Order: sequence, then structure tokens, then C-alpha cells
Amino acid sequence: MTGRLARKSAAWLVNVAIAITALRTNLMRSILTTLGVMIGVFAVTLAVAVGSGAQVSVMQSINALGSNMALIFPEPDNEGGRTSFDRGRLTMRDARAIQKQVSGITDIAPQLRTSIQLVVAGRNATTTGIGATPGYAKVTNAAAESGRFISDADVRSAARVVVLGPSVATKLFGDYDPIGGTVRINRAPFTVIGVMESKGSSFGNDNDDLAIMPISTIRQRFSGDSLAGPDDLQILFVGFEDGVSLPRAKREITRLLRERYRVRGKAINPFTIRTTEEFMKESAQVTGIFQIVLVAIASISLLVGGIGIMNIMLVSVSERTREIGLRMALGAKRSDIRNQFLVEAAVLCVIGGAIGLALAIAAGTALTVYADFPVPIGIGVGIGAIVFSAVIGLLFGGYPAVRASRLSPIEALRSE
Amino acid sequence: MALVETRDLVKNYIMGEETVRAVDGVSLAIERGEYVAIMGASGSGKSTFMNMIGCLDVPTSGEVRIDGIATQDRDGDALAELRNQKIGFIFQQFNLLARTTALDNVAVPLIYAGLGSEERRARAKAKLEEMGLGDRLDHSPAKLSGGQQQRVAIARALVTDPVILLADEPTGALDSRTSEDIMAIFERLNNQGITIIVVTHEAEIADHAKRRIEFRDGKVVEDVLVANRRMVRA
Repeated sequence: MTGRLARKSAAWLVNVAIAITALRTNLMRSILTTLGVMIGVFAVTLAVAVGSGAQVSVMQSINALGSNMALIFPEPDNEGGRTSFDRGRLTMRDARAIQKQVSGITDIAPQLRTSIQLVVAGRNATTTGIGATPGYAKVTNAAAESGRFISDADVRSAARVVVLGPSVATKLFGDYDPIGGTVRINRAPFTVIGVMESKGSSFGNDNDDLAIMPISTIRQRFSGDSLAGPDDLQILFVGFEDGVSLPRAKREITRLLRERYRVRGKAINPFTIRTTEEFMKESAQVTGIFQIVLVAIASISLLVGGIGIMNIMLVSVSERTREIGLRMALGAKRSDIRNQFLVEAAVLCVIGGAIGLALAIAAGTALTVYADFPVPIGIGVGIGAIVFSAVIGLLFGGYPAVRASRLSPIEALRSE
Repeated sequence: MALVETRDLVKNYIMGEETVRAVDGVSLAIERGEYVAIMGASGSGKSTFMNMIGCLDVPTSGEVRIDGIATQDRDGDALAELRNQKIGFIFQQFNLLARTTALDNVAVPLIYAGLGSEERRARAKAKLEEMGLGDRLDHSPAKLSGGQQQRVAIARALVTDPVILLADEPTGALDSRTSEDIMAIFERLNNQGITIIVVTHEAEIADHAKRRIEFRDGKVVEDVLVANRRMVRA
């Protein structure tokens, strides 16, 4: 006699063979039943992938900003639902004070931003003009791919030089090397001194669509109107060393700025500080909810698919009652009968799941390629989808299978 | 010790308000090597009796012992094992699995006996060859004649080498010539030592047996040795 294990594995293999025969016998019915699970697995897999794609996208855009930093805006801090109509303040002097007094800072990047138009020999581009200091490159993990970045000397002399984002460079210069070339920005001639490294795109947003000039140059030429004083900033990035606690850094900066602006007690701060860590947390929360909602909706279709499986398995059991009785007469135990139908349901589901997964991979690839939205379907998701479909089969096939196994052999044999 | 033994065997069916006593206190012993025909009109209780000694149906009261094993103490799975090892069933409608080859049909009981696929095939093939169906291994039931189908069913009943063969109207769906062929097989098997119990309402079939038991209203009314036993082969 063979051992228990051999008996078990033999019985399972036979069950798979029996299941495939039974499913082939009712081919059309099997295909239609599988369709339900297929659509369900397709929807759930794609939902999971789109959700994690959104997460990846958000993280990419935050990383494109710079990894470990605080962003300070001259806007009243409306945290806690309070609003202030006072104008916020943030100046170059504040920036220097922060750099001097707060610990762990790598560099600061005070900025002015405005929309500009660049023209080169009939070609033109509208982009975001960033007035920056040399610290910008360090804080945002950016560097010039070719040429050089803005120097302290450029800032001191308010030089008419510009560093182009790769998208702008391509738009204006095509295949030509733009370094040393001249562009007219709002009619004034500027010399191109560098082209930035590409930072890709996130959420269809091109991170390379910008032009960087010395902050002093932008201040002189473009933004006299919207700022309160000649020393005012629109944004200040503060970069921190790795391992620096951003919440603590935020508290330190807040204390410093409150002192400088003499904000007391519960008065609203005239500035807003956000950190990349906060952005990450918030967007993880938002994309998390987004993903849960997506998956929940998709799960409904999987549930419907599962109910379809249960329905068909019940039909299959009642159609084959006589066969069940015969098998029992020939020595099948309850567990043998139960397993036979469980395997049948699982095979249906796994086939459906595999096709659904394949379709989801195809759709995800299409989205990534054509819509520029990353839809990563990893090995984990793939295995998960297949295992999940098998579980659906066992879950929804369970009731019909148990029902079949509870039949009395003689009653099953007598049924027509 | 008798191979099949029943004591005060009772089976009641509840039909609406009424309780029908299908088998009414039957005590019988069938020895190893016997060839028994169980006769009776429809509703006489012969089939119900047969189902109980085949461990397919559970008695209302009384005992069934198969090869010394008391069946009332065993659960469904233990009874399944008992059927698999000790009893071979032959049905009036053959009960072969459609769209399944003769070989695979015969191998079914061996699946539940836990044999590996090679051994299942080898044993099933040997039994089919014994039944003269060596050239029909890959035929599905639809491509076989009635007599051939019943021979496949007999091969299936014998493939686990049971001690008892239970046949319920085995020739009910066959013409008289084919019936004789089946009877010849039974005779040969009995000569080899297998105990055979046939339920039939046909006297001609019953005459092949060595012993005849007649049921009426759930009771045994006659239990005799067959006087002029019909032999297919002299």
C-alpha cells in the first residue's frame, strides 16, 4: 500500500484532471463563469496598480523637489481653520537668519518666481522663471547637465544669464547646443550658461519645464509689482542634512520667525512652513484613500464573479448528483467529493484570474506608455491576484462542494 | 463467521404522515463463496435490503456485519473505505462516467484506494482484459454496446479485489443473449471464490444462483437452495 501522502497527492492530481474534464464538458458555461472572475481580477489588479502608481507619482514629484527640506511661504498660516487677511512676509534677511541660527542646514534656496516668455530666432516658449541663488542646486538635488549653474558672482552682478530646463532647451534650440547662445526673455537678451539635468515628469507634469536666473536679475526686471519690499521672497527652500528631524527643524524656524516678526501668543504667523515629510505623509494618506476606494469598487465586480462561480457550482453539483452517488459507492469519502468540487471551482477561478491578470498587465503597460502614468504590476501583485482568485474559488465553491459531500450515497445514486 | 450477516434489520421511510417499513426485521447470514439471488416484486424491500448490506443506506435499527465488521459503529468515511475494499457494485444502468474512457472508468475506485496513476492504469487494464475488452480501453461508454458497458462496470467492481459482488438488476437493461454472457461471467467469478449477491425480479437470472431468497412486504418469505441450477457452461 502507498503512504498517506502519496494517496493525498494522487487524489489531488486526479481531482484536477476530473475538474478539467468537467469544465471542458460544459465549455461555454465554463467560459462565461470564468468571465466574471476574469473581469473582477482585472479590475482589482488594475485598481491596486493604479493606486500604487499614483503613490509612485506623488513620491517622484516630491523627490523632484528635493528630499529633505522645509518650504517657507510668505503667506499667513491658516492651519486650524483660522484665516488672516494680512499680507505674509518673508525676506532675504529672514533667510540668512535661518541659515545662521538653525542647525543641520545644508543650504538655502530663496526664490522669486514668475511666468516668462523666451524667444530664440522665431521659436518661443513660455515657462516658469525661477530667480535663484547657487544654493538652489544643492537644496533641490539638481545640477547642470551641461554648462554651469548660477554663481554667487552672477547674483551679485544681477547678470543676464539663464540656465534652461531640458524641455525648454529642446523647444528653443532643438538639437543645437544652447550653451553660450542668446535668448530674449521678455525682450531682454540673456546668455544661456547651462542646461539642467532632467527630473522627468510626475502626474503628467513636466519637471523640466523651467528656466533659472539669478534672483537679483529677476527682482530687477520682472517682479517689482507683487512684492512688498525690495528684499522680499516668494518661496524659501531650506535643505537639511540627512537624519535631521524635520518637525524639530520646523519648530526652530517657526520660533525664529515668530521672534523676528514679533508674533505673540495665539496670533497667526505671517508665514507658512511645510516640510517634504509632511507632503509625503499627506499624499500617502490621500493616495491610500484613493487606492482603498478604487479597490473597494473593483472588489464588487470580483464579488459578483464569485457569486457567479457559486451559482454554477451549485448547478454542476445538482446535475452530477448521480455521479457523486456513484463515486461514493465506489469508495469516495466526503472529503474526496468536497475536494473534487473545490478544485473545480479553484481551477475556474485561477484560469479566470490568470487571464484577468494578463489583461491588467496589458492595460497597465498601455497606460504607462500612452498616458505617461506609471501603473506598476509587480510580481507580488501578480502572485497575489492568482492566489486571491484561488481563494475566491475556494470561498464561493466551498458551499456547493460541502453540500455535494453531505449527500447520502443512496439518495444521490437514485436521483435522475 | 458469515461474510454478510444481518440481525433484526429494519428500515423505515417516512412518507408524509405515514411510516413505511421497507425492511421489517430481516436476519440473514450469507457465507463466503455463496451465490445468492434476492427476488421479490417491486416494493418488496429487496433493493433497500441490498443497499443496506452494501453500506449505501443506513438501517433504522438492527445490525449489518460485513466480514465481521459491524457497520452501525462506523461513520460515513469508514463505510466508504469498507465499500472500496470489500464490495463491488454493479448497477442496472451500468453507471459509467460519460465522456470517460473504459480504462479511466475502471480506475475510479483505485483513486479512492489511493493508488498512483501507473498502478491504477495497470490494474484497470488487466481487469478489462480479463473481461475481454483489451481492445476497448480507450472507448467511451457511448461507443460501447450495452453488454460491453456492463462488462466495463464489472471490471470496475472487481478492480479493488472485493470479497462481495453486489449486483442490482444487472441484466435489466440487456437483451437475453447478452444477459447470458453476463451470467457466464458471474458464474466464473463465483467459481473463483467471489461471493455474489444479485437482486433481480427475473426467475431465469435467479436460477443461475445457488441460493434464492424471496422478499415480500419487507420480510424474507422464502430462503432455499436452487434445485435445478442453470449453468451457462456445463
